[in-house]
Amino acid sequence: MTVAESSVLAEQVDLKQRLQNRSLKRFITGVCAVLVVLGALVCAGFFLTPYAPNTPDFLNRLSPPSVAHWFGTDQLGRDVATRLLYGGLWSVGLALLITVFGAIAGTIIGLAAGHFGRVADATLMRVTDSFFAFPELIAAITIAGVLGPSTANMVLALILVGWMRFARLARGLSVDIAHRDFVTQAKLNGLPSRLILWRHILPNIGPSLLVLWTNSWSRTILSISGLSFLGFGVQPPNAEWGAMLLDGKAYMQTAPHLMIFPGLAILVSVLAINLTGDRLRDLLGSGSAT
Amino acid sequence: MTIRTFRLSGPLGSLAKRLSGLMAVLFGVSFITFTMTYFAPGDKAAAIAHARYPETQSFPPEILEGIREEFSLNEPFLVQFFQWLSRFVQGDFGNSFASNVPVWDVFAANITETLTLTAVSLVIGLAAAFCLSAVSVWRPGSLADRLAVALASIGAAMPNYWLGLLLILLFAAHLNWLPAYGTGTPAHIVLPAVTLAFWITASQTRLLRAFFLEAKSAPYIETLRLRGVSESEIFWRHVMRHAAVPALTMIGLDVAALLEGTVIVELTFARGGVGSLLAGAVLSRDYPMILFLVMFFALVYVLINSLIEIIQDALDPKASLLGAAGPAVGKEARL
Repeated sequence: MTVAESSVLAEQVDLKQRLQNRSLKRFITGVCAVLVVLGALVCAGFFLTPYAPNTPDFLNRLSPPSVAHWFGTDQLGRDVATRLLYGGLWSVGLALLITVFGAIAGTIIGLAAGHFGRVADATLMRVTDSFFAFPELIAAITIAGVLGPSTANMVLALILVGWMRFARLARGLSVDIAHRDFVTQAKLNGLPSRLILWRHILPNIGPSLLVLWTNSWSRTILSISGLSFLGFGVQPPNAEWGAMLLDGKAYMQTAPHLMIFPGLAILVSVLAINLTGDRLRDLLGSGSAT
Repeated sequence: MTIRTFRLSGPLGSLAKRLSGLMAVLFGVSFITFTMTYFAPGDKAAAIAHARYPETQSFPPEILEGIREEFSLNEPFLVQFFQWLSRFVQGDFGNSFASNVPVWDVFAANITETLTLTAVSLVIGLAAAFCLSAVSVWRPGSLADRLAVALASIGAAMPNYWLGLLLILLFAAHLNWLPAYGTGTPAHIVLPAVTLAFWITASQTRLLRAFFLEAKSAPYIETLRLRGVSESEIFWRHVMRHAAVPALTMIGLDVAALLEGTVIVELTFARGGVGSLLAGAVLSRDYPMILFLVMFFALVYVLINSLIEIIQDALDPKASLLGAAGPAVGKEARL
């Protein structure tokens, strides 16, 4: 067998082993099923709830959980359950968008650093290191605060502080893979480097990036809620979970349900994403932990 | 080629390489920080004028122009940057816009609060993490082990501002045992420290457990076991020593998250300290203060990480291959 044949074979075996792993398939099917059910429930909630998230109802202020208001009402008489539903769009949905953006930008920068020469590598990685030197939340507070607290500025701040880990990981893993035989073979065959990155390197580092992405997603949910809780993110009356916590803080003693349910929502969603990510990492056996 | 012949090698060379990398990162950090405040919206001259003459509402353009001259706000961006950087390096951090006293004095008055909180939570958190992970590796897979792992997972997902509110609700509002907000008596530090410690315990239990398990399955431990050394002696004398070095460095690498946690906890409990100082400075656009505090956080973070890497290099030459990605590689390692 020639070097070319064996290297092609090695690559195929590598990817096949990962994709044909039966427990991985089962897990992915399970996650998809849960997501579909969850999505259906959320959509049903949007259509079936008789309340609007931001319309006050002063006759029903601070009422405890009941049949009409599952999670009670807040200081303006707004239904907490409905607000939690809409708040999920802000917290979880916005975090999803931010991390997808960060993952793509970071991966492109990391791949460019790893494969477009030493000057690009040194420059891009020093820039990455410099951005990395700011503790994320502190940088986000500063950027969002200086620009003026608003949702758009918070998103900008979180994008600015969220891409570096992807750049690091993409560069590290892809440089490793670039030395493998099948990449050398592709180079010898005259494949342009962009195609090599797209066809050979990206599929191989994808699983590790996916694991990092789940981790990054849950951290961003915590950051969004934290920034909103501190007043630097989504502003009231919008129903973001952290902003709801901030609202409920003042009524902690008389209406504890105002702060218990939003916090629980954050905890459960972050926990669910973290555990999914952990399981995914175990099943993929990807090297992101090393 | 000439450069290559001068390349240093050995431990001194790697130290020099790290230091030059560190300088580049520090320069990048100051550049980003300064750029951020330079392009922030709002008239800085007006902000300075308001700080100087708090009772005056509006200022004639001549005064604002005079202030711009005085603080070189009319100079090009790069000139301003290097002027600021050279002053900063010399230890001249300027006066706070808000209170018109030196930034350093305000900082020095607040840092002890933050350090106390961090130290107390670290002690509580690490002690708890150590006990939990020791119990959990005693019989892996047992009920205690699974409980510890569950606690660690929940702790990692727990928003610490929410935990803080829950603790206030229980211990301050209902039981009335402890004060909720503010600073002053030693009792004031209990709830914030427990909040922060909970997160430290969660993240470190997981890591310590992994290190202990790895150490426990090392071949020489098996040998000791076969020779009839008791389990407790194996744990205390051998596993501990084996796991200590990686564990220590991992604990250090969580510094960024620790700094973030401190800021959030300070704000949640309305404590004095560097975090509250930063939030106040950001909201009042006190630029000298913001520049200084952001630089402070970044410097602490970068320096501690570099220190850990140097220690790692010294202890284990193989680890330097992994650590070579630069400072803060621990964020990935923590995944």
